[in-house]
Amino acid sequence: MTRIFHPVVAALASLTLVAPISAQQKAVQSGNTSKSTLDRTKIPTAAKAADLRVPSWTKATLADGAELVVSEKHDLPLVSFSINFVGGAAQYEPPGKTGLGSIVGQMLTEGTTHRTGDQISNDLQLLGTGIGAGVGSESGRVGFTSTADKFEKTLAILGDVLENPSFPQEALDRLKGRLNVQLLQNRDRTTGIAGVVFPKVLYTTDHPYGVSLTPETLASITRDDVASFYKSYFQPGRAIITVVGDTTPAAAKAAVDRELAGWASGGSMPKFTYPAVPASKPTTIYLVDKPGAAQSTFAIGAPGPARDTPDYYAIRVMNEMLGVLFQSRLNHNIREVKGYSYGVFSNFAFGKGPGAFRAGGDIVTAKSDSALIEFMKELRDIRGPRPPTDDELKQAKASLVQSLPENFASVNGINASIGQLYVQGLPQDYYQQFARAVNAVTADDVVRVAKTYIDPDHLAIVIVGDRTKIEAPLAATNIAPIVHLDVNGNVVDR
Amino acid sequence: MFRFRPGLLAASLVPAAAIAAQGSPSPSVKQAGKAAINIPFEKYTLKNGLTVVLSEDHTTPTVAVEVVYHVGSKNEMAGHTGFAHMFEHVMFTGSGHVPYGTHDRFTEGVGGSNNGQTYYDWTRYWETDPSNYLETTLWLESDRMGFLLDSLDETKFKAQRDIVKNERRQSNDNQPYARDGEVISLAMYPNGHPHSWPVIGAMSDLSGASVEDVKRFFRLYYAPNNATLAIVGDIDRTQAKAWVEKYFNDIPRGQPIVRPKFGPPTLAGEKRLTFEDRVQIPRLTIRWPSADQASTDAPALRILASVLAGSRTARLTKPLVYDAQSAANVNAFQTGFEGAGEFSVIATPRPGHTLTELETQVDSILARVKNEGPTAEELERAKAGQEFQFLNGLQSNLGKAFELAEDQTFYNDPSYTFRVQYPRLQAVTAADVKRVAAKYLGDKRVVLSNVPMGKTDLASHADKSTVVTDPLTEITTGIKP
Repeated sequence: MTRIFHPVVAALASLTLVAPISAQQKAVQSGNTSKSTLDRTKIPTAAKAADLRVPSWTKATLADGAELVVSEKHDLPLVSFSINFVGGAAQYEPPGKTGLGSIVGQMLTEGTTHRTGDQISNDLQLLGTGIGAGVGSESGRVGFTSTADKFEKTLAILGDVLENPSFPQEALDRLKGRLNVQLLQNRDRTTGIAGVVFPKVLYTTDHPYGVSLTPETLASITRDDVASFYKSYFQPGRAIITVVGDTTPAAAKAAVDRELAGWASGGSMPKFTYPAVPASKPTTIYLVDKPGAAQSTFAIGAPGPARDTPDYYAIRVMNEMLGVLFQSRLNHNIREVKGYSYGVFSNFAFGKGPGAFRAGGDIVTAKSDSALIEFMKELRDIRGPRPPTDDELKQAKASLVQSLPENFASVNGINASIGQLYVQGLPQDYYQQFARAVNAVTADDVVRVAKTYIDPDHLAIVIVGDRTKIEAPLAATNIAPIVHLDVNGNVVDR
Repeated sequence: MFRFRPGLLAASLVPAAAIAAQGSPSPSVKQAGKAAINIPFEKYTLKNGLTVVLSEDHTTPTVAVEVVYHVGSKNEMAGHTGFAHMFEHVMFTGSGHVPYGTHDRFTEGVGGSNNGQTYYDWTRYWETDPSNYLETTLWLESDRMGFLLDSLDETKFKAQRDIVKNERRQSNDNQPYARDGEVISLAMYPNGHPHSWPVIGAMSDLSGASVEDVKRFFRLYYAPNNATLAIVGDIDRTQAKAWVEKYFNDIPRGQPIVRPKFGPPTLAGEKRLTFEDRVQIPRLTIRWPSADQASTDAPALRILASVLAGSRTARLTKPLVYDAQSAANVNAFQTGFEGAGEFSVIATPRPGHTLTELETQVDSILARVKNEGPTAEELERAKAGQEFQFLNGLQSNLGKAFELAEDQTFYNDPSYTFRVQYPRLQAVTAADVKRVAAKYLGDKRVVLSNVPMGKTDLASHADKSTVVTDPLTEITTGIKP
């Protein structure tokens, strides 16, 4: 609830303005201004950076067709284990069953032919860990991290969960009931509404990138759907098992061979084919009313390039300076200089298909129009009127290249880094080549990809906020015509 | 209450996660398992009172630098709520020899990160960087500790004040259920008690803050004798000490700090409140005053929280979420501060079920736990994950810096978590859990029903529940300046 301004409160506040913040401050007479011989204007020079150390790994193909990748890290007694599946909901969910993959992931730990859901939970608690299972848009994962001495016991439970799930009807009913509550709660948040409406506006529900779980699709999902998705999806032919930590390739293989012995071979790598995206439309404001909202959630964007675009590195560098770094153009201007927001950003989803470009953030209601003007200004400027400075380019590249080692600090980080290569079909020496590719990007490249992938005349501007307060000011900017949508992204009458 | 959205670090505020102490790899950890939960460190104090904690870990060529100031919203007074956090934002607007933007230039702009965070008892600032930038980060942190006021700029201060208001809107006013905590704290703590207002503060107080306030606050609380510096990661300790000396040694000591003193909440009995929110599904929160972070009862309360909720088979979760299915979810947690503590149960009903029904079910289950205590297996399950969580936490330089520096701040012992608190958690018995449940989860509590606008009849036992409208108005108007 927006706090209403009370004149009485304001008067009190101004009276207390000269009072100390804390009682003790009355006593503070002078500050700790220092005199020093050190020349602090001299910025320390950094020594040469350490060479990038990329973890190494071994690779083998198992009898059932899955790939096994093992990377050793012995400083701590920890093991991170994942089965990565290539392809996801966008490839394997039948039409009208959006959300099925995610539900199947959660249903895996609801019981097996050997263990009830309670037993799985209790056994894992005693091992000090838990098994995560999830199906995303284009990949899935079943895995855990444990202490090294609990690795094989946890893997045995994972094997049972993967091979023998029983999918109890009552568990599905319960899960659907809980998801229904989440769906309702999601509609209470401006960010939750934008998360549904923005993809729908960009791709329509005829494209896998445009659909979200709805009460209708949720209601239609049956136990047969769950069993059939499970059967077709969780197959070793599209699986890469990554094991990272305090183990060896031989020990990991022996454990996997033993605990996943019952996993029947089958499955193949998916084809990633997507329908064409809808023809681009002139820039339009799609306004969703959220009465009483203290802030408006902005999502401005368009379908973007796939991960395999040759412009990938140039786009990454461009986007760092546009809306990733704290001092990026969007955040510096709209948050730091104008004070309209707690933070704004931009992002390219990439993926196997035309993942979205999105710029946005939460904007104080009263400045929704002013913020839109600044968003549009920055999106236009980076396309040429204000080319990147040498320092912007240098920082954008360094932030990408020199942050790599942090990804290799933990067994989970290494596991995810290796898993990504396989899931996204990237070369084995990707990390070794990353710096070279990023550093080759020029200022001209940045302007070129901004021009190619950000078209200010063909953007969808989704704004979820208090219509009575923001509609007239937004219209007065003359940036684009306004179309009214409901919280599900359907056009509504004015 | 971050400079900007924190991502995963938010977990550091969740008390259950705080069980996972952090430490650096040492051969003994691996060999001896439970017996060697440890973070090797070296601690010393500069002549100006700055405490320094160093810990080497050469796993990755990165370093984490953290400065914790022993000041937070607890040091504020009514009418000035939210100031400690707003001050945190000012610390990023540049200092005497570091122009605005330079801090980001030498953290994010070289592949690192930075952020700040304010809580009731502390304000912390940190950088992670490639380790060849350690000297630069020390230059950055020392300059704002010593010379912030040299470049204090009215325009930048006002911009940050607007940004903090946006933070309040984003994290409280525009978030369903997010104001529940404000309502409960105001009811639980006496007038003027610093835990009676939220760290983010009241909007009207934020508007009233001035540059003069910033100066006074800085001079008192941002002195080296009120701070701990932790440096963890790929460092040469001799070199690190030389740089610490170079950059921090000439910052003068400040005045001794008088810590605020306050007693425990003085709830006479149960307070029942209803808050109308822009939500579709109501939610029930029950909160009790409990043990503070240093109390020997705190570990048993944490174990009690995991016995009650968090896993599928927990005492509250199984009957409410899985068997009766009256709740979509249920949560229980112990939160410890310096001199105050809270224990909470939060439950969201499934459609067709009421908050009254949930409260009755929760109370009946709590009564049983108070009578019987947990079973041996429940206790074992609650403790089993701790060794893993500890080891997992050792992989993060920043996580270890937080642990070492905050333990130093509150216990004058960087090793407090793994030397004292971890063994205490391991030693908790079923009788301890039973005892703390009976001791703290009594009728002196606040029961809050968050209900959709206009539906106050959905409150738990609505006839006995008082509707509150705008809780923070009371903070600024209800107390004499």
